This record gives sequence, structure tokens and C-alpha cells, in this order.
Amino acid sequence: MTALIEATNLSKQFGGRGLFGLGGKPVRALCEVSLSVARGEAVGLVGESGSGKSTMGRVLLGLTPASGGSVRLDGTVIANLKGEAARGLRRRMQLVFQDPYSSLDPRRRVSAQIADGLLAHGLATRAEIPGRVATLLDQVGLPKAHADRYPHEFSGGQRQRIGIARALAVGPDFLVADEPVSALDVSVQAQVLALLADLRARLGLAMLFISHDLPVVRSLCDRVVVLYLGRVMEEGPAAAVFERPRHPYTRALLSAAPNIDPLRRRRRILLRGDPPSPANPPSGCVFRTRCAWAVAACADAVPALDVAGPGHRVACIRVDDPELAPDTQPDGHQ
Amino acid sequence: MWVLRRIGVALVLVWIVASVVFLAIRLVPGDPAEIMLSQGGVSPDAAVVAELRDQLGLDRSIWDQYRANFQGLLSGDLGVSLTDQASVSGQVFARLPRTLELIAVAALVSVLTGIPLGLLAALRRGGWFDRLAMGLAGLSLSVPVFVVGTLLVLVFAQWLALLPAGGFTPFRTDPTRHVAQVLMPAITIASSLAPVLFGMTRAAVIDVITRDHVRTARAKGVAPAGVVLRHVLRNALIPVVTVLALHLGTLLGGTVLVEYVFNYPGLSGLLVDAVNARDYPMVQGVVLVISVLFVALNLTMDLVYGVLDPRVRRA
Amino acid sequence: MRRINPIPLAAVGIIALLALLVPYLGLPDPVRIDVPNRLAGPSWQHLLGQDEVGRDILSRLLWGARSSLTVALLSATIACVIGTALGVMGGFLGGVVDLLTIRAADIVLCFPPLLLALLVVTLLGPGAATLIPVLALVYLPGFVRVAYAGVLSVRHQEYVEAQRALGVGKLRIMLRTVLPNIGGPVLVQFSLAMASAVVLESGLSFLGLGVVPPSPSWGLMIGAARSTMAQTPLPLLWPCLALTLTVLSMNALCDAVRAAVDPHGVPPRQRRWLLPALLPGLPFRAGASLAVRDLTVAIDTPAGAVRPVRSVSWSVAPGETLAIVGESGSGKSLTGLAVLGLLPLVARPEEGAVLFGERELLRMDEAALRRLRGAELAMIFQDPMSSLNPVHRIGTQIVEAIRAHRPLSRRSAWQEAVALLARVGIPDAARRARSFPHELSGGMRQRAMIAMAIANRPTLLIADEPTTALDVTIQAQVLELLAELKAENGMGLVFITHALPVVAEIADRVVVMYAGEVVEHGPVAEIFTRPLHPYTAALLRSAPPEDGSLPQAIPGTVPLPQHLPAGCAFAPRCVSRRDACEAAPPPLEQAAPGHDTRCIRWREWQRLPVTQGAEA
Repeated sequence: MTALIEATNLSKQFGGRGLFGLGGKPVRALCEVSLSVARGEAVGLVGESGSGKSTMGRVLLGLTPASGGSVRLDGTVIANLKGEAARGLRRRMQLVFQDPYSSLDPRRRVSAQIADGLLAHGLATRAEIPGRVATLLDQVGLPKAHADRYPHEFSGGQRQRIGIARALAVGPDFLVADEPVSALDVSVQAQVLALLADLRARLGLAMLFISHDLPVVRSLCDRVVVLYLGRVMEEGPAAAVFERPRHPYTRALLSAAPNIDPLRRRRRILLRGDPPSPANPPSGCVFRTRCAWAVAACADAVPALDVAGPGHRVACIRVDDPELAPDTQPDGHQ
Repeated sequence: MWVLRRIGVALVLVWIVASVVFLAIRLVPGDPAEIMLSQGGVSPDAAVVAELRDQLGLDRSIWDQYRANFQGLLSGDLGVSLTDQASVSGQVFARLPRTLELIAVAALVSVLTGIPLGLLAALRRGGWFDRLAMGLAGLSLSVPVFVVGTLLVLVFAQWLALLPAGGFTPFRTDPTRHVAQVLMPAITIASSLAPVLFGMTRAAVIDVITRDHVRTARAKGVAPAGVVLRHVLRNALIPVVTVLALHLGTLLGGTVLVEYVFNYPGLSGLLVDAVNARDYPMVQGVVLVISVLFVALNLTMDLVYGVLDPRVRRA
Repeated sequence: MRRINPIPLAAVGIIALLALLVPYLGLPDPVRIDVPNRLAGPSWQHLLGQDEVGRDILSRLLWGARSSLTVALLSATIACVIGTALGVMGGFLGGVVDLLTIRAADIVLCFPPLLLALLVVTLLGPGAATLIPVLALVYLPGFVRVAYAGVLSVRHQEYVEAQRALGVGKLRIMLRTVLPNIGGPVLVQFSLAMASAVVLESGLSFLGLGVVPPSPSWGLMIGAARSTMAQTPLPLLWPCLALTLTVLSMNALCDAVRAAVDPHGVPPRQRRWLLPALLPGLPFRAGASLAVRDLTVAIDTPAGAVRPVRSVSWSVAPGETLAIVGESGSGKSLTGLAVLGLLPLVARPEEGAVLFGERELLRMDEAALRRLRGAELAMIFQDPMSSLNPVHRIGTQIVEAIRAHRPLSRRSAWQEAVALLARVGIPDAARRARSFPHELSGGMRQRAMIAMAIANRPTLLIADEPTTALDVTIQAQVLELLAELKAENGMGLVFITHALPVVAEIADRVVVMYAGEVVEHGPVAEIFTRPLHPYTAALLRSAPPEDGSLPQAIPGTVPLPQHLPAGCAFAPRCVSRRDACEAAPPPLEQAAPGHDTRCIRWREWQRLPVTQGAEA
């Protein structure tokens, strides 16, 4: 598969340049993250709050300028494009938001909000708009008759469908879905996941699915990238990463997620404390301060992403250590 | 760090204000000296104008004037009044304490009435006390201060002859009379400030009382008085203090009308006289002192705000 | 936007109309002097009497209104148009424009308004023509700030970001999305500026620095009548009254506009404490530490009472963990709050009983209930940031919980608070006790909440979605901590959550709620392996399965409490429904000891093999 979108060594810093140099330390949200999504592929971007996963989505779409690195769409570098060229890109890449409430303008009809993209790119004349909006609503499973309603007349799940219809209006190849189901109730979550999976199959959409919910990612994605403090810890095919996680952080993350089967309560690798501040990350491996397997050498250098299997890469210097064999537990942890 | 930054910003603001006042007077069309002397529509004698221009330094370049002006300011010299050749700073600092006293008494009266009544009204929201207090506050807010002052003089000085109609007596000369003369103007000012504090306290309390942390306090089993004082009023005071600061600042120049009505020789009376007499150095001096006080007040309130709300200290 | 209250609108309208129509009312010339009749009382020619030089007071009042309103309207409009434009540009374009407009407005705001007006009048000379730009300048920064703040708050809304992502142009976003959203605050600011301009105009005229005599103006009239007020107060009182009434109605209009623009401000009903219903005579489970019996919670709305919690019963034994699981709108949180008497103001318990040992909590007076809360019965909440008071130190807030129930000195309570923080796993507890909530991470804040809740060794802890706002690794830590504390103190735990995996992890028994009712209730192991209600089964299937396949969705949405179906509340979404399901609400039946279900087909589900349970 060739990459539709490819990010190379993408970095992003926030702040640190305040007036009179008083802005404080810069916060490093992303650090040399490389990521690619092939046509029709769904990649899960997993991490906890502060891992930089949402920033990654916005930098890829050019909504937030990158501090370093490059983004290519179909081989063309798209970072820092301006004017018409940048607007053309918007047609090919779209965003679905987490919060179904704040992502729709409460004062405008749903039809007008879905039509925004069509009008901005001249994809439809005013006369064609109602028909196009109806088709889009139908595509996301909403009654066409609801086009003239206001957002507050819809439930959370329906609003999320409207957000998806708005993104689909311009006919994108690539969709960034930023925690699209985490604000929804469990029963509605499944509806939206099914819709996304269906759209992906029917339209051949490539997707970057950003989430903190590992089971949800597993049900939708082909590949997974695990972020911690702005760096990639592990990436690989979903089945491989979920069945045989190699990085200590991925293992802790997976074991922390509660299991729905009460008879299979898992032994946990409990992480100590909170993640360090992104303004002041540890030297070497950023995870070492909470890692049960950390050794002195972990502080020396940032570990490289090394191949650990087909398409599977891990950034840990002890990845081949027998102590870290997939079935072992760290000392003193239950 | 946080405090130092605020002080730095305040100093820059004072400098900008002083420059604006300086430039405004110099850059307005017409020769200030000529305008000053052309009272009554008679064209002044050219020699007199030249003398005044020399005295004001208007014949020098604007940059020279600006520098001289700021050198004076830094050494506390605000220049000399054109009407009686008295030192501007002497005049200003003689009158400043009187205005500050007036504002302080008014603020005290307002805080002591507005905040408790606002709390009470909010806690009995929708009840008769709330409606009565809201009505009175609305009315009190709608009567302009000079109307309140004039009516107070009419009732308490003219008809009932209980209090002196105005004027000022130093505390040392006659303490009773001093207090009697400060009382009415202070209450007049409070009539506009107290309802503002009342309304703000009421709104803030109503807002805070539905917050989660109040529920937590109740879940802990804290007694009602503790919930109201430590968790409701304490948090509600944050916006109230902001509003108080804003209004105290406005009062620094806003006592003009009250001082005029009660013939109270404060700072703004000086300003009105100076404006009417086109006494530019005096106007500049008074405006500058008031602005400095205003900025200083805002700075103090910022600091108080930091004490009240630990979250802003991070900034 | 809601409708504006018509009374102040009409009052301002009448004043404006009078001012507009003065020239056509056939009133005497407002500047014609009639010295012989100075200070004459009311007469047919002069309805309100004559002033100190014999001019007609009524005519002068109305002409005064005209000039006052003209000045106010023009200055407020100029300030509004220019100020809003500058504010929107500053906020939306940012950078240099931001710096120029906002900092300039800040500098103007450094001058007290009256002082600013005085300064400009000094430079330009008095007169109505000067007043308009002066007042416009005074109010300009206010509009800049309001518009700027509005734009900033809208600019970072996701729906604006969505438009940027769609490639919609900046100008279009500004006109279509940003302006309508700041319209409300700008309108409020406009009415404020109008009222304030009327006051300021009259004040300046009163000082002789505004409207120039002999033109009529309320401020001038009041100023002139002062000298004669001891003999004839009427010429003074008329303009005072006119000015006050005008400002009063303008202020009232301003409040009305604000109320119409601002959606918050519908006053909640006064709280009704006790309920009339009788204690239901049901026996409760022996040895239960807390038993809720047939609890119904009602919310009074203009359309009648709605009941988001209906006839809910459950109990917890000492040392047991009961999970209450449900989606939003299931009534699970309201149930928890009702137990402690902490329902929001609009809601009230309508029926039922809550038995805590021998005591019935719903009918207990507030003082007695308060002695229980935070002592024997404690509660923690979902959002530890908003649930902690931001202005007090963590330690202080724990000390408060301790001292609310035990007569300890501040010092020893503080030591205990530090020990509690250490117990819940906060490193460097002595220093952390002095931190404010915003200085801690989300996980630390929830630990602090837990420390506060266990401060008086409660026998029962109600935890309302305590881990929902936390990351998974932190959630695991908090669940671990709760399990330890339970084991240590033999404390009962009621765990309210929407997440089934969390229930599986920690609970002994589970209550499944749907649309305000208990639909199933029983031991976790049974319910997760052989659910006897289609909703429970569907909920289990909607969680993403281990093998990576897609979860199965439940069609439709939870009904609102005011639009409940006639029969089973879940019937419209249930694939196993029969006609009987829609005929009448099914009762909660006991399927096995300790296992209840509200489905009429439970016997069929019971016969199904394990792990399949009810069809969905």
C-alpha cells in the first residue's frame, strides 16, 4: 500500500515565546513523530491526555502549524501551503470532533452547516444544496426531513452523525476522527462506530482514529500507534499490538483497561504516579520514570523505534530482554 | 514573578497615560497660550502671548518639552498654576486626601450594606426581601448622583436643617463638623456604588451556590453557616472585588459632581476650576495624579485578586 | 434569543416618542424668557409652571429629553459601530491588529470616564456637538472589549474550527458565525451605554460643561433650579423626576435585554424539604447498611412534574460493592444524590424511603442529616476539579471535613489530613496539603476527594462516576485504592457508573437502570454471563469485544422522562419485544434469589445457555 498521507518527524511546541520572553517554558506536544496512513486504511492513534494525540490530528490537517517536520499528501509536501492551494487541501482531508455539542453552531440550521463546505469549494450551486444535504443526511442515517432543524433538537449521537455528514460533504479521502465516540453513551457509541466502519468500507476513506479507549480502537483500526508524552512508543498491526504488546507502556495501558468479563479479572501492571509535565519531560526514554522495567541506561538516550515484527516497531532498549518476554510481570506488581 | 510583572505593566501604563495627556494638550489645534489668554473673545496682546509661551516652554521643540516635562515629573514637579502661580503639586496634594477620604467612607458604607444585603437577597431568591431589595437597588442605581446629592441637600439641610449643606472643615479644627460634612457626600456616592455591589454579590452568590464544590461541602456535613461563608460568599467575592475596584477607579474622577453639589474642596473641584480657567498645567497635573492613582488601585486590586483567587497566581 | 420584557420597552418607547414629537405638540417656546412670571406655579398655559426666568418647564423638559436622547443615541451608536468593528477585527485577525485595538482600548480605560470627558471638553470647548464624540470615545473601549471577548470565546469553539477545516473563508466565518454569536453581549452593552450617556450628558451639563445655555437640558435645569430650591422646590423636582424615570426605564430595558440574551436566569423553584408520602412498610434485606425503597424523584416543570427516577429499590450490605450502571438519563446519579439529600434545587424526592441502619433519611431534618453526611455516609463525585473549592488549599478542605464531625484542634486535624493524603497515595503529602486544587493532576484531585470522603471512616461510600474523567492508567490506580480502602475499613461502596467493564472489575452486585427504572438487579457474575433483561444483554454487546470485532449497537435513543412509552420503557428499542410489552409497564420480578428483572420474557432467557442471555 502506498501512503496517502505521510508525516515525517513532525514536532510541535506550544508557548515559550511570550512577550518580553516571560512566557515560561515551551510545552513539547509532539516530538519527531512519523506516521503514515494508506488509502482506505484506518490507523488508531492511542494515548492518554497530554500525549499529543489531538495535536497530531490538527497538525496533519494544517489547522495548527507544525514546528518541525513535514506532511505529504499523495507525495506532495503540504505544510505551510497558503491561499487557494491550502483551500484545495481542505477538500481532501476532514475532521470529526469529540464534543457533539460544541462542534455545531447552536444558532445555525443543520442544513446550512452541512452546506458550508459545498459552498466554500463551489461543489454545488445554491439550487443543488437541499438535494445534496438530503443525500448526506441519508448517508449518515438521519431522516432528510431533519435538515431544517437546529442542533439542540438532536441527541448527542445524532449530532455526531451531523458532524460526520458535514465532513463528508466535501468528499474527502482522509478523515481525522478525534475521539468521536468518547462523549457518547455506550449504546450510541456502537452506532457511531458502526457508521464509521460502514463509511470506510463504502467510500474507501482513509482514517486516523484518535482515542484513549483501546477496545474501541481495536474494533475499528488496522494499525495502531501508541503515543506517550509526544513520542511514539510502539506501532504495528492492531492484532499484534493488542495480542502481544512489546513496549512496557503499551502493556501497562492494555492491562489498565478494565475487562468486561468478570470471570477474567486480569493481573494488572499498575503504573505509579502521573505522567510528567510535557514542559519538563525526562531525559532519554520519556516513559522511564513510570516504567517497572527501567534501568539506568534508559536515561541516556532517546530509544529508537526498532523493528520487532512485521510492520511492528517498538521504542524500548530492553525490547529483546528475556525479562520483558510477553508473559512476564515486573517485580512487585500484581 | 507574577507581582513584578504586574508592577512593570502598571509603570508602562502610567508612562503612556502621562504621554497621552502631554500630547493631547500640545497637539490640539490652536496655540494653548493664545486660547488661555483669549477669555471673553478679546484677542490678547502678542507680547503677553509670547511671554506665556516662554513661561510654558511652548517655543521649544515638542521633544524638548516632552523631556523637560518628564524630568519634572520624575522629580515630583508638576509645574506652576497659571491662575495664581501656586505650585500644582502643592495644590493637588493638599486636596487629594480629602477626596480619598470621601471615597473611602463611601466605599466602606457600600461594602457594609451592598455585600450583606446581596448575600441575603440571593439566599432568599424570589422571596419578598429579595424583590424589595432588588427594586430599591434598581431605583437607587437609576438616580444620578448629582440628583441624589441635590435632593439630600434639599431635605436634610434646607427642610430639616439636620446637616450642613456642604463645605469642608479640617478634622483637627472641629471633628464633629468634619464628620457631618463628609457624611452626606459619602452617602451620595454610596447610593450609586452600594446597589452595584448588591447586584454583583447577589448574582455571584446565585451562580456559586449551584457549583459542584458547594455540593461537596454539603456532602462533607459542613454546617450551613460554614457552607455559606467559606464556600459560597468566599468564592462569590472574586467578581465582587473586581467590580468594586473598577468602580473605585471611576470614582477617582467621578466625585466631580458630588464635590460640586456639596461645595467640597476636593481634587475634582480643583479640576473643574482649572478646566473652566483653561489652567493647562493644573489640568495636566490633576489628570496625571488621578490616573496614577487609578493604575495603582488596579494594581492593588490585581494583587488582592491573586489572594482571593489562587488560580490567577499561575499566570 | 427570547422575547424582551415589553414593559420597559414600552416605557423607553414612550419617552423616545415624546422626544421625537416635541416640535409638533404646540408647546411654548422653551427659551422664551418671561421674567415677571419667574417661578410661577402650574397654570393652564404652563402645566408644570415656569422656571427662574419664567420659561415653560414642561416645554423645556421635553426639549431636554430630545437633546439628551439624541446625544445618547448618536454617541452610543458611534461607539458601538466602531468599537464592535475594532473588537471583532482584533479578536479574529489577532497579531498586530489585536495589539493596536485592544491595548489602545485598555489605555482609554485607564482614564475614569468622567475625567476623560472633562479632559476632552477642556480641549475642544463645551457644547452638544462636542458631547457626542466625547461620549462616543468614553464608551468605545467598552464595546471593543465586549466584542473582543466574544470573538475570543467563539473563535476557539469547535464549530469555528470545523469551518476552518472545511476551507470556509475568514470573512464569511466572521459574518456568518462570529457576529451572530456576539450580538447579545453587544446589544446589552449598547443599552448600558445609552443609559449611561443620558446620565453623563446631564452631569456635564449640570457642571456647565455640556449643553450650552439657554438650550434646554435636564442637567442645566437642575443646576439652575438649585439656587431657588429652598423657596420653590418644584422647578428642581421636575427635571430630577424626568431624568430618574428615563434612566430607570432604560436600566430596566437593559436588564430585560440581558435576560432575553442570556439563557441563564430562570429562577429555580424553592426547595420543598419533606415529602407527604407514607413510609412504605416493606422489610429490607437483613444486615443491609443502606436500603433504598421505592424511591421516586420528581422535577416540577411548567408542563407538570416529570419523574426521572421511578420506584427504585436496592440495598448494600457492609463491605459489599454495589454498582449502579446506566446511560445518561437513566437516573443513576439522581438516585445517589437523593440518598444524601443533595438533589439539585429543582428536584425533590416524591415517594419512597432510604433506610440507613435504623434511620430513614428522606424524612430526616437537615441538621440530623448533616451530622450523617461526611461522617457515616460519604460521597465522591465525577469531576474532581469542579467538586473541590478552587480557592481553598487541599489540606484546609480535608480539615473542614474532619472538624465538621469531630472536635479536633486545627493543628491535629491538619496532621490527620496529611496522614489521609499519604494514605490515598499522594506523594510528599505534607507539601501537597498546602496545594490548591488547580496545582494537582486529575488523578491527584480525585485521590484528595477520596481522602476527604474517608476522613471520618464512613461505613458507606457513594461514588458517582469517580473515574470517568480520568485516564485508564489513573483509573486503574483509583479503582485499586477504593478496593484497598474497602478491605481496610469494611466499608460498603455504591459505585455509580456508565462503564460495564468497570462494573465487572469491582462490583459484587449490580443494578442496571434504564430511563429512571431498575430493569435488572443481581450478582455481577450472573448478570454478565446470563442477563435476564434484553437491555442488559444489549448493553453488554455494545461494549467493544475482546477479539477486535465491531460492537453491536442498540438502535434509537433513551426516551426523555416526559415522553415515556406506555408499556416497557425499553420496548421501542428492543428486538425481542412482544405486543404485551407495549401494553402495560412490566413489574420487577424475582427470577432467582437476589436476581430481579423487569422483562416479561425472563423465563425464556433463563433457559438460554450461559453467555448468551437475553436476545437483543
